[in-house]
Amino acid sequence: MYISDQIRRAGRSLRSAKARTLLTALAIAVGAFALTLTLAASNGAQSFVNNIISENFDPAELIVVADKNVISGGGGAEPTEYSGNFGSSLSNGGAITQIKRLTDSDIEKIKNIYGVESVREDIAVNLQYITRPEQKKYVATMQSFSPFLKPELAAGDIPRPLTGKQVLLPEGYISSLGFSSAQAAIGQTITVAVKKPTTIPTTPQTLAQSAVQSADDSVLEEFTIVAVTKKASTSQPGTELYLYTSQDAARALNDITTEGTDNFRAYTSIYVKVEDGENEDKLNAVQTEIEKHGYFAQSVKETQEFLTQIIDVLQGIVVAFGLIAIVASIFGIVNTMYISVIQRTREIGLMKALGMRKRDIGRLFRFEAAWIGLLGGVIGAGIAIGLGTALNPWITKQLNLGDGNKLLIFDPIQIGALVLILVVVAIFAGWLPSRKAAKLDPIEALRTE
Amino acid sequence: MIKVIDVTKTYGKGESLFTALYKVSTEIPAGASVAIIGKSGSGKSTLMHIMSGLDRPSDGEVIVNGKSLVGLKPKQVDAFRSSEMSFIFQAFFIEANQTCYQNVLLPLEIAKVGRRDRRKHVLEALRAVDLEDKVDSLAGNLSGGQKQRLAIARAIVNNPKLLFADEPTGNLDSATGDIIIDLLFKLNRERKITLVIVTHDLELAQKTDIQIYLKDGEIEKTVAKKRQHRTSPNSSKKVVRMV
Repeated sequence: MYISDQIRRAGRSLRSAKARTLLTALAIAVGAFALTLTLAASNGAQSFVNNIISENFDPAELIVVADKNVISGGGGAEPTEYSGNFGSSLSNGGAITQIKRLTDSDIEKIKNIYGVESVREDIAVNLQYITRPEQKKYVATMQSFSPFLKPELAAGDIPRPLTGKQVLLPEGYISSLGFSSAQAAIGQTITVAVKKPTTIPTTPQTLAQSAVQSADDSVLEEFTIVAVTKKASTSQPGTELYLYTSQDAARALNDITTEGTDNFRAYTSIYVKVEDGENEDKLNAVQTEIEKHGYFAQSVKETQEFLTQIIDVLQGIVVAFGLIAIVASIFGIVNTMYISVIQRTREIGLMKALGMRKRDIGRLFRFEAAWIGLLGGVIGAGIAIGLGTALNPWITKQLNLGDGNKLLIFDPIQIGALVLILVVVAIFAGWLPSRKAAKLDPIEALRTE
Repeated sequence: MIKVIDVTKTYGKGESLFTALYKVSTEIPAGASVAIIGKSGSGKSTLMHIMSGLDRPSDGEVIVNGKSLVGLKPKQVDAFRSSEMSFIFQAFFIEANQTCYQNVLLPLEIAKVGRRDRRKHVLEALRAVDLEDKVDSLAGNLSGGQKQRLAIARAIVNNPKLLFADEPTGNLDSATGDIIIDLLFKLNRERKITLVIVTHDLELAQKTDIQIYLKDGEIEKTVAKKRQHRTSPNSSKKVVRMV
């Protein structure tokens, strides 16, 4: 018998027992449904993380810190020894934690390590406000611009490198600052105010004085807008309204705001660009060297791995449930196929009498099992895709992933492979029943009474 | 032509040993119509199974169209059955939820007949049993006589040389049964298909060229009609062989 004839005959005999076939297939469909959604969700999460990482971090750079707690997610199980260059930092809960900083001498040491191309401090300055003549004042944060970043622009161009008091203004400030359009802002200036640190007042009188004084503590600087950045969904969360300026300007502002305090020229983290850092071996060599000097370094890849770790664990749990459903459905197929063989004893006997070979009869029933697997896989994956596609915009919105990102990404190749695996599993499940059919004695099978 | 030489068939072992056939020898010439007659338990079905290669004799030799079935591998016996012989049964054994077309198609699929010729063969077989108009009807909707005619169409679609009919009228009323019998003898005459009918119906048996009476696993007597068989005048002389 030709294989194509067998496949068609197998399909036909399934159609003659529609309810039984469908119910058996539904057991597999549950597994297929769970696995399809899991794969899609993990694709979505993976791509979300990758987008954030690849658009915000240079793979040839290492993030270097002096305090391990900064990069290991606050794994402070061991007491940290106090030393001179501690600064304070606000944690999420609002508590002030002490963090060891990197100073100019640390940076100098790191710069001299073989393989280090350049070092830039990660500077974010809390501005007092930004404004323009006859406009309101707005609070803002200004950050040193990583040459690696390629933000989407609404207008203008980013000079490479960014020099002096050039600024990239987020689109969100355009109308607030009284510009008619993003294009109109290019070449214009904004006034940036930073505040000198105040000395801590000791008496109630000086407290009142210092409040009056504070206006005079402001330093005003004029910045030229060279480009207007669009709000990118993959920008690091929380940085959507950051103004970007050159490393030099950022450092100058930072110096003003920290002069005379513990935080002066002390940086939580710095970015170390490694020569040929795309090459993992060279990156690792420099990382090892930096860590030998007592600092802590993390590559982008490690950051990524840290972020995707949680995704992987959750994914593993759902995959396990999907696999359990599929294992359970194997017994369903075995059962259904045994019933099918028993019900069709005479048909098998007749086919044997008409000269059908053992092997072909076995294959006929394995194809039947394969059809059940295919049906279950297609139903499960189909419902998952349908439901996922329908609910995707809503879920994405609820999770606040930002536009352009999706929670669920369905990969046709992945789903195709999944269905194929289910077909193979079903054929495996149909093995014993099909052997029973092949071994059936035609004389016994054809006995009428 | 079928030659059965000293065939013995036993089932079981030791005390439960049961002899279904004992040293049976007979010869069926090509193109003849033969009835194997006996009560239930006489061994008539076993003899048919052994002649058709569905069962193997415990001892003895079966030669069909010059080929010894005993020496063949199961695969070769299957191929031989698929190309040379066919069956109809008392209970029809048609697939009720398939169309007539699909039922008749089965032997062609088993014999790997090319897809282009299939429809032609199926329609021709259905025409021969006068069921051409039912080609796309579900087999389950046919009457009993029509079902057996469908089974005959399925049996002849592959142009077999040999047709085994196991109690072909057992489930039919006499009028319908007569139509089936007439059809079988017509095929025997016109297509020169050797027809072997297993039955306990003496009236039906009388219509065949040769009647083999079985009793307790042995041939009681073999009766041949005096009229010589048209297609094989030479072989018919040797037919009578009393045991």
